[in-house]
Amino acid sequence: MTTCDCIATGRPRLSRRMRIALFFLAEGIAALMIGFATLFVNFAPAWSAEIKPPAAYIKPGDARSGSLLLKTDEGYDDAVRLGTDVDLTVSGPTIRARVTQIFRNPTKDWVEAVYVYPLPTGGAVDTLKMVVGDRIVVGDIKERRQARVIYEQAKRNGQKAALTEQERPNIFTNSVANIGPGETVLVQIEYQEPVQQSGNEFSLRVPMVVAPRYNPAPIVQSVDLRPDGGGWGATKSDPVPDRDRITPTVLDPAKHAPVNPTNITVRLQAGFPLGEVKSHHHIVKIEDVDDATRLIKLAEGLVPADRDFELTWKPAAEKAPSVGLFREHVGDADYLLAFVTPPAVVEAEQKPRPREVIFVIDNSGSMGGTSIVQAKASLIYALGRLQPNDRFNVIRFDDTMDALFPSAVPADSEHLGRATAFVSALRANGGTEMVPAMRAALTDRSDGDSDHVRQVVFLTDGAVGNEQQLFETITAMRGRSRIFMVGIGSAPNTYLMTRAAELGRGAFTHIGSTDQVEERMRALFAKLENPAVTNLSAKFSEAHAEVTPAILPDLYRGEPLVLAARLDKLAGSVEIKGRIGDRPWLVTLPLANAAEGKGLSKLWARRKIDDAEVARTTRQASPDDANKTILALALEHQLVTRLTSLVAIDKTPSRPDGEPLKVSELPLNLPAGWDFAKVFGDGPQLPVAPIERRAEGDGRTQLAALKRPAVVQAPDTVKLPKTATDAELKMIAGAILLVLSLLLFAFIRRQNFAH
Amino acid sequence: MPRFLAPLLLALLGLILFGQGAYIHAKALLAQVLLERAFSKTIATGHPTKPWSWADTWPVARIEVKRLDASTIVLAGSSGQALAFGPGHLELTPDAGERGVAVYSAHRDTHFRFLKDVVIEDAIDITRSDGKTFRYRADRSSVVRFDASGIDPLSNGYELVLSTCWPFDALTSGPERYLLHATMIESGSSRMTTP
Repeated sequence: MTTCDCIATGRPRLSRRMRIALFFLAEGIAALMIGFATLFVNFAPAWSAEIKPPAAYIKPGDARSGSLLLKTDEGYDDAVRLGTDVDLTVSGPTIRARVTQIFRNPTKDWVEAVYVYPLPTGGAVDTLKMVVGDRIVVGDIKERRQARVIYEQAKRNGQKAALTEQERPNIFTNSVANIGPGETVLVQIEYQEPVQQSGNEFSLRVPMVVAPRYNPAPIVQSVDLRPDGGGWGATKSDPVPDRDRITPTVLDPAKHAPVNPTNITVRLQAGFPLGEVKSHHHIVKIEDVDDATRLIKLAEGLVPADRDFELTWKPAAEKAPSVGLFREHVGDADYLLAFVTPPAVVEAEQKPRPREVIFVIDNSGSMGGTSIVQAKASLIYALGRLQPNDRFNVIRFDDTMDALFPSAVPADSEHLGRATAFVSALRANGGTEMVPAMRAALTDRSDGDSDHVRQVVFLTDGAVGNEQQLFETITAMRGRSRIFMVGIGSAPNTYLMTRAAELGRGAFTHIGSTDQVEERMRALFAKLENPAVTNLSAKFSEAHAEVTPAILPDLYRGEPLVLAARLDKLAGSVEIKGRIGDRPWLVTLPLANAAEGKGLSKLWARRKIDDAEVARTTRQASPDDANKTILALALEHQLVTRLTSLVAIDKTPSRPDGEPLKVSELPLNLPAGWDFAKVFGDGPQLPVAPIERRAEGDGRTQLAALKRPAVVQAPDTVKLPKTATDAELKMIAGAILLVLSLLLFAFIRRQNFAH
Repeated sequence: MPRFLAPLLLALLGLILFGQGAYIHAKALLAQVLLERAFSKTIATGHPTKPWSWADTWPVARIEVKRLDASTIVLAGSSGQALAFGPGHLELTPDAGERGVAVYSAHRDTHFRFLKDVVIEDAIDITRSDGKTFRYRADRSSVVRFDASGIDPLSNGYELVLSTCWPFDALTSGPERYLLHATMIESGSSRMTTP
C-alpha cells in the first residue's frame, strides 16, 4: 500500500478514481440493461405460465363433476347433496342405468336448483324423472331452445319444472325450478350404455357425482351468468392442484354422516357363465343368482361418492366369447349390435416392424406441478422402451415449440441420452399452442419409407379451447401417422383426447398419478408394439344396413370391434373383413342367430349422433346437415344431445299455502337400502313453516337470498399462497457481487501499479 | 488480461442476479399498467378482458387505499405466476361485497408493499369488475402460518382479508403470513345494478 502511494503521482491517482467511477457507472448501466434484456427475452413465456384454463369463459358445461348449484339472486350456491342411488342392470351387451339423486333445499326460500353431473361418454340419456315433494314429473324430449323456453315459462308461472341439457357428450345439467323451503327433490335419470370389453374382460364404470371438495379429479365451478353480461359471466373457480390440501376432514365417518352417500346395485346378467366378478374401488357383496347372473351390492351399505365405481367380469370359460350378436326390434326396423374380437396374433411371429415414434410433450403452464412430473416420467419411460432399429424425435411445446432433432433419428444410446437430458430439463411455463406442435409431429418427411410404422405419442392435459382447430389439423395431416393421446393430470380434457385419438386412429391412455405411469405406459406400448387390425369393413349380404361407426376404427390388441346397425330386415349375414398385421382376416356372422337385446336402438342412435358430430368436426358434413341428422335421430329415439333437451313441467299449480311438507312423506320414494337417519340426520327436521309464495306479483320465483345452505361443507380455513419474491435477495446478492468484483478489480489494478 | 477474468466473471454473475431481481419488479410494474387498462375496459364493457392476448388470467377487482395513494389490480386465482403480475383473488373465497370473507393475496415486496403502512381505521376501496364499489375499514391485523389462517370464507359477515408474507423485510420466504382484516362499511354501485 505504502509503496503504491509513494510512487503514484497526482495524475494517475485521479485517473484511477475516474476509472473506478466509470467502472461503477458502467456496471450500473449494464445491470439495468441486462435486467431489461431478460425482461424482453423472458416476458412472453413467463407471463401466462401455470395458469388454469380461462375459467371466466366457462359455462356450467365445463364443470367436470356432479354438483348441485342452487341458483340465488347472487348467482349459484352449493347445496347439500343428500344421496345418490345407482341402479345398474347389465343385460348381455348393454347397461341400463338409473341414477337417482336426492337433494333437499335446506334454505327458507324458494330455489332453483341447477345440477351438473358427469355420465359415461357413451351413455345415451333418454329419461328424466323428477320427484319434487310428492309430485312425479316425467320429461319429454324437445329441441333445446324450445325446451328452455318451456322451462322458463313454467318457472315464471311458479310451476315446478325440470330440464336436462347436455353440455358435453359426458356432462349434463339438470335445472329444477321452484323448490320450496325444506322440500326434498329426487332427480332420476336413466341412460343406456354398451358394456366395455377388452380381451377376456368385460367392464362398466360409473363416474360418481361428487361434491367439489370431495374429489381430487374434477373442477367444479359455480357460474354467475349475469343477464346483462351478454353471455359472459364470472366463475368462482376451484384450484384442482391443491384441492386435497384444502379439503378439511369433512369425511371423517366417525363424526359425520357421509356428505354424499351413494348406494350401488348391479344386476349382472352377462349372458354367459360367469367367472371372476370384481369391483376395483369398492368392497361389494356378490350374490350368485344363477350361472350367468350375479347381484352385486356394496358390502358396507352407503359409501361416500369419492371415486368411480368400476366393475369387471370374466367368463367362466378360459376364453371370452370372441363374438357377440344381439338384436332388437323397434318400430319397423331391426337393430343389431355386434362385438367381434379379432384373434390375437401368434406371438412367434417375426420381429415387429420398426417404428418411427414422434413424442410430443406439453410443457405449458397448465402442466405445472405434478402434471409435468408425470409427463416427463412417462416420456422417459417411453424412450427406454424404444428398440435400436426404431427412430424417434421429441417435440416440446408451450406457446413456442422446439423439436429436439431436425428429423427423426435412430434410437441409439447417444440420441436417447440427449433426448433424456432434453426432457429432464423441461419446465412448465407459457401458453398452450397445440396446433403447431401437432402439425410438426404429423409432418412426415420420410415419404415412401413405409418400413417404419409412424406413431405420434402426444402427452398433454388438453387444456385448450380450440379443440376444433386441433381436430381439423389431425384430419388434414394425419396421413399414415397414428396418434396416441396420453392424458396427463387429474382433470385432462377427455373429450379432446378421445376424439383426437379416434380421428388419429390411435388410442387414448389416461395417467392420473405418478403411480400409474409405468402400468399405463406399458399398456400403451403393448398397443404400439403389436400390430393393429386395420382396413376393417362390414358387409351385409341381404339386409340394407345403416352401420355405425361410419368408418370402422383400427383395433389394438384385445380390443373388440363394436358395431351397431339398423336393418330393414333381419336376414342373411354380415361379413367383417380386415387385416391383422400382414394377414387378411374374415368372419361371417349369420344374423338369424342373434340374441334378443335391450336398448340397442338407443345405442345405435347415440353412436350415429357421434358420427354426425365427427363429420361436422372434420367438415365432411356441413354444420347444418349434421345438426339436422342429430336432431332427427334425437327426437326419434328420445335422446338428450347437444341440440335436444328433456323438459318436464308439473301441470298442477304449486303447493297450496299452509300445507307443510314433511320429509317423512318421502320414504316411499326413497330407494331401497337407504338408511333414512343417515341421510337426513337424526336431529329434528328443518322446521317447515307454512309456505307463502313471495313476490306473487311479478310472477317470478323469489330466489334464495341465503348465501349458505345450512349444511354446506366448506373448507375450515383458507390456505394462503406464498407471497414473497426473491427479487430483493437477488438484487442484494447481485450488488454484493458487483462490489466484490470492483474491489478485486481495484486490488489487481493496484498490484499492476505496484510493479 | 487473464487476471481480470475473476472480477469480470464475478461482475457478470452479480449483474445477472441483479437483473433477475430487477426483472421481477419490472414485470410487476409493467403488468399493472396493462392490467389497469384491461380492468377499465372490463368495467366499461362488462365483459372480462384479458390484459394481454396470451394471458390465462384476468383482472377481477381494484384495491385502493386512498390515504397511501396505493392502487393495484387483482387477478383471478392465486397461482405463483399470476401473483407475479398482481394480487390474486384466492379461489374458494367469495367476491368482495359478498357475504363471507374475500381474500386477496400479493407479494410483500411488490404489490402489497403498501400493506405495512396501512393502519387500523384506514379505508380500503374495492372496485369489482362489474363496476360496483365497496368500502372496507381495516379492523385488525394478525400473523398466522400459511396453513392455519383461521379464515372461514363462508362466515356471516362481509369481510375482506389482504394477505402477504411476513415479516415484511425478510429476504427469504417463510411460512408466516401477515393478514389485514377489514369489514365492509358501505357498498355503493357506480355503474349498474344487476336485475
